Amino acid sequence: MSYHLALAGAGRCPNQPKFLLNFVIKEFSTPPSDPVSKLIRLGLLVLACSFSVFPALALEVPKAKTLLENHCFACHDEWEQKGDLRFDQLDRLSLEERLDLLNRMQEQLFIEEMPPRKEKKQPTDDERAELIDWISGELGKHNASKLEDKLQKPEYGNYVDHEKLFSGEYANLKAYTQDRRWLISEFIFDAKFNRILNHQGTKTIDGKRESVIGDNNRRVNLTNPFLLPTNTGVRYYANATLDGGHLLTMITNAKETADYMISLVNRDRRYLPAAGVLMDQEWTHEKVLASREAFLTSHIEQVLRDLYQGEHESLLPVFVPVETGSDTPAAGEATKKAPFHSAQPGQTELVLIYHSMCRHHKEGQSDRELIRKCEQEWFHFGDNERKIQTRVTFLENYMEEWRGQIEQHKYAERNKPPVYKPLDEAEMQIIAESIRKHRQKGDRYQAIIAKCLADWEEGFQQERVAAGAPETATVDALVGELFVKIFERSPTADEVGKYGALTRNYIEGLGRLPAIHKLIQTLILRSEFVYRSEFGSGEADEFGRKMLSPRDASYAIAYALNDSSPDAELMKAAESGRLETREDYKRELERLLKKRDQYYIIDESVERLDLTASITNTPIRKLRFFREFFGYPQMLPIFKDNKRFGGNYDQSKGRLVGEADRLVDHIVQKDRMVFEELLGTENFYVYHSGDNEAMTASSERIGRIYHYFKDLGWEDFEEADLLKHKEFLTEVQMRGVDVKNLGQNGRRNSIREFKTAMASFTLRFDDGETAAAPFVSFPAHGVYNASTRTGMQLRAPEVAKFFNIQLDKWNYPSVQPAKVDHRKGMLTHPAWLIAHAQNTETDPVIRGKWVREKLLAGTIPDIPITVEAVVPEDHEKTMRTRLANVTEKEYCWRCHERMNPLGYTFEMYDDFGRFRTEESLEHPDNLITKGPDKAAAHVDLRDTYKTLPVDPRGVLAGTGDPALDGEVKDAIDLAGRLAKSRRVRQSIIRHAFRYFLGRNEFLSDSKTLIDAERAYLESEGSFDAVIVSLLTSDSFIYRKEYPTQKTTDHE
Amino acid sequence: MNSRRDFLRTSAFGVGALALTPSFSAFAGELSGGAPRRFVFIRKSNGIRPNELALPSFTAEQKALDDKKQPLQVDLDQHELPGWLQPVAAHKANLAILQGLSCKMSENGHWSYSSVMGAFKSGRNSLSGIKRATIDFELAKLSPSPFGHVELSLTGNYSSFRTGIVSGYSAPGAHQRNYCYADPQTAYNELFKSVTNPDAVDSDNAMLEFLQGEESFKAGALQGYEKLKLSNHISSIESIRGRNKKLEKMSGSIAKYLPVIDKVHADGGPNATTPEKQKAMTDILIASLVTGLTNVVTYTIDELSTPIKGLPGNEGDQISIHELGHNGGYSGIPADKIREKIRVGHMEQVAKIVEGLKAVPEGKGTMFDNTVVMYFPENGEGHHSHGTEAPFVILAGDNCHLDMMGRYTRLPYHATEGHKTIGNWYTTLLNAYGNPIEHYGDFDLEMARKKFDQTGAIKLFMA
Repeated sequence: MSYHLALAGAGRCPNQPKFLLNFVIKEFSTPPSDPVSKLIRLGLLVLACSFSVFPALALEVPKAKTLLENHCFACHDEWEQKGDLRFDQLDRLSLEERLDLLNRMQEQLFIEEMPPRKEKKQPTDDERAELIDWISGELGKHNASKLEDKLQKPEYGNYVDHEKLFSGEYANLKAYTQDRRWLISEFIFDAKFNRILNHQGTKTIDGKRESVIGDNNRRVNLTNPFLLPTNTGVRYYANATLDGGHLLTMITNAKETADYMISLVNRDRRYLPAAGVLMDQEWTHEKVLASREAFLTSHIEQVLRDLYQGEHESLLPVFVPVETGSDTPAAGEATKKAPFHSAQPGQTELVLIYHSMCRHHKEGQSDRELIRKCEQEWFHFGDNERKIQTRVTFLENYMEEWRGQIEQHKYAERNKPPVYKPLDEAEMQIIAESIRKHRQKGDRYQAIIAKCLADWEEGFQQERVAAGAPETATVDALVGELFVKIFERSPTADEVGKYGALTRNYIEGLGRLPAIHKLIQTLILRSEFVYRSEFGSGEADEFGRKMLSPRDASYAIAYALNDSSPDAELMKAAESGRLETREDYKRELERLLKKRDQYYIIDESVERLDLTASITNTPIRKLRFFREFFGYPQMLPIFKDNKRFGGNYDQSKGRLVGEADRLVDHIVQKDRMVFEELLGTENFYVYHSGDNEAMTASSERIGRIYHYFKDLGWEDFEEADLLKHKEFLTEVQMRGVDVKNLGQNGRRNSIREFKTAMASFTLRFDDGETAAAPFVSFPAHGVYNASTRTGMQLRAPEVAKFFNIQLDKWNYPSVQPAKVDHRKGMLTHPAWLIAHAQNTETDPVIRGKWVREKLLAGTIPDIPITVEAVVPEDHEKTMRTRLANVTEKEYCWRCHERMNPLGYTFEMYDDFGRFRTEESLEHPDNLITKGPDKAAAHVDLRDTYKTLPVDPRGVLAGTGDPALDGEVKDAIDLAGRLAKSRRVRQSIIRHAFRYFLGRNEFLSDSKTLIDAERAYLESEGSFDAVIVSLLTSDSFIYRKEYPTQKTTDHE
Repeated sequence: MNSRRDFLRTSAFGVGALALTPSFSAFAGELSGGAPRRFVFIRKSNGIRPNELALPSFTAEQKALDDKKQPLQVDLDQHELPGWLQPVAAHKANLAILQGLSCKMSENGHWSYSSVMGAFKSGRNSLSGIKRATIDFELAKLSPSPFGHVELSLTGNYSSFRTGIVSGYSAPGAHQRNYCYADPQTAYNELFKSVTNPDAVDSDNAMLEFLQGEESFKAGALQGYEKLKLSNHISSIESIRGRNKKLEKMSGSIAKYLPVIDKVHADGGPNATTPEKQKAMTDILIASLVTGLTNVVTYTIDELSTPIKGLPGNEGDQISIHELGHNGGYSGIPADKIREKIRVGHMEQVAKIVEGLKAVPEGKGTMFDNTVVMYFPENGEGHHSHGTEAPFVILAGDNCHLDMMGRYTRLPYHATEGHKTIGNWYTTLLNAYGNPIEHYGDFDLEMARKKFDQTGAIKLFMA
């Protein structure tokens, strides 16, 4: 195959993926190096060209057949079918089966999995390329190649050779990223709408009101269609595209948003001044109408009496009382009456009823008389009959309770009835004239008001028609304001023309308000709103690369670290020519990375689950990288049995994830030897708010209480005994102990709560513990003992059970993170272990695969369609034995040997992440004792079963470091070695590249990756240094255009 | 049993289908021949206590089995129905009472939110707790229509009803919450817009046309993957315009079956009673099916915070369903009696749906022949449920793919051999109607701990 042929061919592939094509062109523009890299390039070229008919590259089938015979048939023909596969009958397979098989062959050849590496007889590089070429051609005929799509996905990023990337051999290649649009993420969606809709979250953190991003409790009901996949690892990638589902949801979102934006203008014209100008006349009219309506609704009776004097009564309709009877209860049927709060008709109605009662109140009058007068008033006003019926029934059934409420809630002060005050003379005249014009005998008041309003509205409408179409300048200004509000930029002249005309069309067809509404919808549905834009601008360098345009760069930087638009300083830098050099990027990145004045909600679901304070002031995407890389939040949707947990799993899982977040945040904030710490720390957070001072105080407080009372015979105390310790109790404030009212027979049973608390404290101290966890002693709302940093009760102490800690035998470390036995790093954190387990058992394969791919930059082929990935049940064997029985056969072991020996080491933890030396064979046949179904938090509710010893030994292979590779004792040993591995460090950096760049790395990104590693080492393990290095690299700052001229909508 | 391989090969779950979000795929597809299959899910709150469904004419032996939660199956034509089921007594042959399912893998207690129709724990009502598309959306994929799926609800804040378009309980996919029409007038305006407000439809179409033109202009200058991004945007606009065109074409049939909504429902219907709202929603539900706008409707007829106003016999009371769960009575009427009256009201609506669909010819029979209506409590067996029981009242026509009609069935009790969960029930529906999924939903953990098989459809009901 010649270089010229490749380029000529490339020119004839209009629909092929450009990144592949460019990579091929770029790669072929560099001198060929070793055979393997040549092969990879060759493979990519073939792939790049296999998506359309490409006869110039098609090979003779007989040659492919020979290659198959020579290298594949030995294991896959009529005599032997390893993996149940045979290649000698490809033509007899159905099309679907043939394409599936060819796809697998293509991938296996591409990543050099086949022929097996141990085979001596390997195809030459050219032969391999020829075979791939033939397969690709076959798949191309049916547009059925899956490898192209795969190579764009983060989970296939490791297909690029790791050694080559870091060898330095490719460091001279010029890196860049293709000009691109990047679909917004679920987080950017929220941030964008929060900005547009003026939604600013705040929270009390450490006692101070702080601004918080990520609180999406907006007043507008929006559906987020840009959800990221739920896999572990990198989730947000630039290869996603908008589909019909997104757009359908966005149409509804756009309508809701338009409604709310218009209501914001109505509230404050500064929000969109031009919309205010356009709507000024209409809204002024509305205001007048609203004012007249409100006045009449409150005072029409008075107005009518003034107008009609003695004639008024004769014009009233004939009063017809409502019926309020109900089914007769059956004789002898005891009925519990619903309490007041469950029968009252709602606050607005209560106030209205109260006002009527005030108006008709008369000393000595019976309730029945009062109710009748009120009813008459409502009837004359024209209230709906059912409403009146409900009010009357309520008053008849709940008058006594209602009077109590009126007093208790101080209605007389807080809900004074409106006092009659006429509007100005001109208004009163208009009202009087209109009423005289419309009132008919027998009209109820609402009917009169409605007729007047209709009359006035008609007059106003005529005024508006007479005023004519809006000024062009006003419409253009509206377009400009909406562009700024929605896209954070001014429109081009062309856009003003186009959208101005569109708006005028809308106004003509729909009227002003619907037109503004429609224009907002139109803008929100533009691709510019849902895609981030990353295009180069200015002069191209000698390699055809341009730097990101300053505006796009400011967004790329902002979105790399957060989900929000650039802050004012970054925006200003972009506008003032201070975002045009690598140093400019560095300055802004370092500034943003140091910022700590902005809080973020890490995970709303964690916060909701256990009232955990899921907050950080670390730039959120930095923390989120590790969150997603480790994937421990994925434990949340895993549904687990409380009984098997031996406690309340459902109420503890949110805290466990929240505390894993806290640990990662703690390490990331220290920013020293970050990877080593994450993989090797022995210190963890367990039932801790993150505030050492507060937790110490809480723990010491219960210690003081315990030690004060422990020898005073508190078990036999009566309430009077507590009085003797009033001073101390006032100082320590025990929940439920009402010191002020001790001995006064108050509502609280102070002695009971005191004893409950002391019994609980005693449990925590009676084994000689020096400090105890400050969890609540009995369920109650509100804060007592420890609180979260956001001031909520610190719940779910049973989180300690994940760490094999017994709550009643815990020498509680108030200063955390603190050492926990049998743990080392995030891979031994129960949250990670649960996230990488099944509902009811461990999963060494998933755990091993994670280590292989995420830390050792390895690849594992997709599970073949022929394989039923099920570990057979056998309640007499351990998971390891059962798994080994099905995966250690030769065909399976080829892949499983890369996972199982790593995953086996985690068998020292069960599927709840608890340390163990014996595996419980959970099956009814093996039941030894049944645990209690319900008990206090410190009790283990688990049933006990027969057990077998756990074998956590394994093998580490693939670090490339002989000092680290080899047999490992268990997961602790494994974690220690991984933390020291250079390959692991590089692998994390590769994932960071994908995360921050939103794409997979190529060999041309080699220098970027090497620089990032160097930055990490030179900064003593700073992750900030890695981020700065990646985001100032050529890979990030340089962009290349597609061959044809692009059109951007912001130039 | 279908294997993983079969599952992967099924086109409904293939790559093509997954490329679209589920809500979109429910309307994007075309129905392949034959009459559409229709499904109506009616969620009610406050549980249904198992004895409320027990047949009053059970023999002593049958009663003993039912009381002890032992498996039992009897023909309904030999029996009387409980009083509150009388409104559907005329449809006994099309009726099935299903007892003994459990729903412990969904949220229990007062509310289940999305979870009861998805067989997962939703972490209260958190978005991230929504683990998968709910069963109604899965069925909607098998029976595409212009709207795909319609959700209606009558919910509130104890004193007033929610109105407008609000968040619903069904889920088009993981981490996604559907929207629903919360009052009859809004549902009417939105669903039948192509007839009632053609100007609004025209302006939507004009907007989409403008956008399509603009995006096409931009895309014209691009190549490769970037072109694909914009062309996807354009084709998405085209699809929605296509749907709108289809709706315009259907306007004749929509006009023919357009329901009449009383003016009491204007502006959200603040003065409408609960029975009036239910009646109007039923009319809309029937019309949305009969006009072909959708083949799947989920209707939350009430939840604990729905105010009950204007209930016959308690006309003046504003009743809290939650309070009824705590045994509070109103105007001297005990809670149990009011609970029953509420259920009677529900059944009258169910009967109306059945009769409404039976009145419309389709093929050689009626529309009801191709319809399954399910009425069930969102939270199992009581006001504070534990999920050990999840009863269903099912009405289905003659072409129903389920072998259960005309019978009262009690399945083995929770966590005993042969017990079935709502996951098995939903799998039964999916398998019966063309999705060969091995099992839908999460497993019951107590069943798993006791090592009972709990995968797959309920064979007893597979026709």
